[in-house]
Amino acid sequence: MKPMLDCDTVMRQLWAYLDQELTEDRMEAIREHLAVCARCFPQLEFERTFLEQLGKLRREHPNPQTLRTRLVAALAAEGFTAF
Amino acid sequence: MADQADKREKDRRFQEAALSCLPDVARFALSLTRDEPDADDLVQETYLRAYRSWDTFEPGTECRAWLFTICRNAFYRMHKREERTVQCDDAELESLAAAAVHSSAEHAGFGDVFARADLHEALEQALNELPDQFREAVVLVDVQDHSYEDAATVIGVPIGTVRSRLYRARRLLQERLLTYAKDAGIAPKEGPSGLERNP
Repeated sequence: MKPMLDCDTVMRQLWAYLDQELTEDRMEAIREHLAVCARCFPQLEFERTFLEQLGKLRREHPNPQTLRTRLVAALAAEGFTAF
Repeated sequence: MADQADKREKDRRFQEAALSCLPDVARFALSLTRDEPDADDLVQETYLRAYRSWDTFEPGTECRAWLFTICRNAFYRMHKREERTVQCDDAELESLAAAAVHSSAEHAGFGDVFARADLHEALEQALNELPDQFREAVVLVDVQDHSYEDAATVIGVPIGTVRSRLYRARRLLQERLLTYAKDAGIAPKEGPSGLERNP
């Protein structure tokens, strides 16, 4: 049985864990640690809600069709023919 | 005749691969410029450059990332912004520093402030005030949902550089949001951690 990760290691890789940028083995090891660690879990929640707020800054273009029409016209001047 | 057929095929492939990415490119341009008319100009410039350079695009590679790179480079050129190299510390040390931010927030009764306060505008402003290199890392990964690898391709730097910039940026944003929360008079959480805070 593998030894459980220590808090310092988990803290160092918490963002990479939340971004799912670690190997599956390391993701699982951190998941196991977070499930039982009273010190690290609040940190996880803090970072998770912060990243959720950042994700809400995503803005869609308000007039995509107008933009597309303008774009196709500009490209046509370069010789592009839309299908 | 053969030339016309080639041209038709080129336009068909451009429409299929590049124009289908328009919503993503428009969103990215809007994140960079933060202004709709400027974003539209940037999108147009991006696609004109892409069309003129379409022969250099390698089929089978990620067209969206290619367009994002063109968009990013056009943005810096159009706005005459210099890409300044920002010194970053080790990414994992930034993670540890973020733990200290959380600890400080807990101590002040703001450990759950991101969940219970509407910080949307403050966060947007704080993001806009970040240096370009930090902001684009956050925009690509946290706002546009790219992987570290995709972001590195778009920016043209190693993954480790993206990671360092991203983590530094997140920590700076958290510090600014906590300062904002305190200055805006958002009440600290009731309870032991709130009562323990320093005056």
